[in-house]
Amino acid sequence: MRRRDFVKALVAVPVTVRTMLGQQAATPQSAATAALPPAAETAPTGVNTRGFFEYKAHPIASSVPDGFATTQANFFNEQQLATLRKLGDILLPPLNGYPGATQAGAPEFIDFLIGVSPADRKHMYQTGLDRLNADAEKLFHVPFAQLNAGQADKLLRPWLRAWMPEHPPKEQFARFINLAHQDIRTATMNSQAWSIAATSSGERAPGVGLYWSPIDPDIQKYV
Amino acid sequence: MAEEKVDVLIIGSGHSGGMVAKVLTEKGISCLMLNAGPVVDFKKDREIKPAYELPYRGFSMPGRLPHVFQANEFNANTWVDEKEAPYTYTPQQPFNWVRVRLFGGRSLFWARQSFRLSDYEFKAKDHDGFGDNWPISLADLAPYYSRVEEIFRVSGHADGLPQYPDGNFVVDDSPWSGCMQRFIAAGNKMNVPVCKPRSAMGVDGLASSINLLLPDAFATGKLTAVPNAVVRQLTVDKNTGLADGALFVDRHSRREMSVKARVVILAAGCLESTRLLLNSGLENSKGAGLANSSGVLGHYLIDQVYGPGIVCSVPEARDGKATSSLMGGGALVPRFRNIDTKSKNFIRGYALNVYSSTRPMDPRNFADYGESLQKKMDSYEGSGFSTGMMGEVLAHYDHHVRIDKNVVDAWDIPVLHIDTKYTDNEFNMARDAVDTSIAMAEEAGFEVLSKNYDPNPPGYSIHEQGTCRMGDDPKTSVLNQWNQSHDIKNLYVVDASSFVSGGWQNPTMTILALSMRASEHLAEQMRQRNV
Repeated sequence: MRRRDFVKALVAVPVTVRTMLGQQAATPQSAATAALPPAAETAPTGVNTRGFFEYKAHPIASSVPDGFATTQANFFNEQQLATLRKLGDILLPPLNGYPGATQAGAPEFIDFLIGVSPADRKHMYQTGLDRLNADAEKLFHVPFAQLNAGQADKLLRPWLRAWMPEHPPKEQFARFINLAHQDIRTATMNSQAWSIAATSSGERAPGVGLYWSPIDPDIQKYV
Repeated sequence: MAEEKVDVLIIGSGHSGGMVAKVLTEKGISCLMLNAGPVVDFKKDREIKPAYELPYRGFSMPGRLPHVFQANEFNANTWVDEKEAPYTYTPQQPFNWVRVRLFGGRSLFWARQSFRLSDYEFKAKDHDGFGDNWPISLADLAPYYSRVEEIFRVSGHADGLPQYPDGNFVVDDSPWSGCMQRFIAAGNKMNVPVCKPRSAMGVDGLASSINLLLPDAFATGKLTAVPNAVVRQLTVDKNTGLADGALFVDRHSRREMSVKARVVILAAGCLESTRLLLNSGLENSKGAGLANSSGVLGHYLIDQVYGPGIVCSVPEARDGKATSSLMGGGALVPRFRNIDTKSKNFIRGYALNVYSSTRPMDPRNFADYGESLQKKMDSYEGSGFSTGMMGEVLAHYDHHVRIDKNVVDAWDIPVLHIDTKYTDNEFNMARDAVDTSIAMAEEAGFEVLSKNYDPNPPGYSIHEQGTCRMGDDPKTSVLNQWNQSHDIKNLYVVDASSFVSGGWQNPTMTILALSMRASEHLAEQMRQRNV
């Protein structure tokens, strides 16, 4: 039924557009219609394409929002997010003129990323962050977010492993620590802040690649 | 418009389909090629971008392409979307079916490793008693390999090893780097050969169907190519029992169409070709599918074991001392197990890809973090050395695909259910590959930083093979030695589904050589009016 309703909605859209434009045409005194030049004879009904064939596009300098906006973290609870932020500070602090995880907005980006990830990934992160905090409370009687570097090292180092791509540690907590470390590094080093730091120090920014746009995507893909 | 009968219908545009088109059109035979996906516009569809401009900052879109480990956010749009074209499997036995439906198929992105199979593969049963021999030998295919190697400009070095047959190479006489010389010396002590890799250089940066094969076919004026044509099934003349065309669906509009042909050639990739045959036939006494009187269609699925390997550091290259004479370059350890001796817990063998690099090392190789990790990364930069396994998977009847009638793709075509797994032979082989790598690296004086014994899931290698196997006996094989159906003489299957065993070798050169050989056979049959 949902699929059928969606199809109906899709079918209805052009009719609505046509009706709307028709109404505009019927009321020439409206400001909206006055701004619309008459359509060329060969143009599709109701759509103005006059001049598009001659128009030479002017470049529009666009920006990504990360340079001036902050990701709103809304997946992890307050304590989990504080733990993740501390984890980022510890695992990848600012070094040699490059931003650390915090400066690159990595914890907030990971909050977004995990929030839209499959359930097993969400579970791994949530239970992993909770365990880090519980271990901190148990051993040092403070939340993980309040540990000093030496205390955090005591909790983290035993779980660090060397591992090869596609084969992270199998033990659940070690898996979390090592995958979170990898995610924090990627989110930081692929950030705009890192790229700016690399450019200013005359080095090549990492995370630059050949991007493939959707290639003639299926027009009915989501129906 | 009245339906016009074409001479040859080719389904698929990758290496195998491209080779068929080239050979047949150059002999004056008209061909129609259908491809399920679109044509790439290399100017419009690609651009250099920083990861921070992508929606997921360079991470793969969560949940998308869960079985394509090769995918990242940069290349995600080149792979088949599993939601659009699903397949099924039991959760305990995942299979990574990695597909590309762009015009040119997977030939756009292959790794270019270019090897011949040897008679240790073609006549494997004679050697160790397991499975079946191919109906052909290296001698049958060697002339075709030579011609393919010339087209693809395969660089390599003649080594004179029977398990690593020499070819028609652009000779690679480049000097070995120092670290490779040490690895070779370690191999000599352990009777493990270390050879130059062999790789298709291609032309203008590409070694694909779309630049090395299809242009020649188009130049004849005899090839018509239709993108976005998703083939639903083959059709059969009820009077003659011969294939007479196909039904297909327009990828965008879902318009159903049909085409008639004198000859039908499947070149859609091993599993898609098999799926088409399975979807084209009704149940019969031996099972479902067209051209399946043997009952083995869909069975004997094999691929190759990838994933196990090691990463090392060459100590003398650390702390800024890496030079191009010490580091860099690659090597290939061809199969050496079960040639003259017998391994205790596995048959057949594996090869090792060997690489050295002057680039920064992957931080995952160090169990460290923060400033301390950065210091190690700085120190170890340029000292990386690694091996990766390519192992043979044994062909078992039980490892198979079948149609899952409960699931359809975006075009209402029933999907495949894939039922396969690795066995102790593959796992034991993987352990040996890693242990041998470690022993050689340590003998060479390298520090082993990380290792992995676990194979990636079946399918990861993108080398699926065997589900329309060839053979002399119509009761035990789908195709004859010319890639021609035993049951339907105007039906050919020219992709890797015809393989009887896969060895460790990247299958591309063998696919191309077989496709060339089959095409010339077909052309002669058509000339003699046998087909």
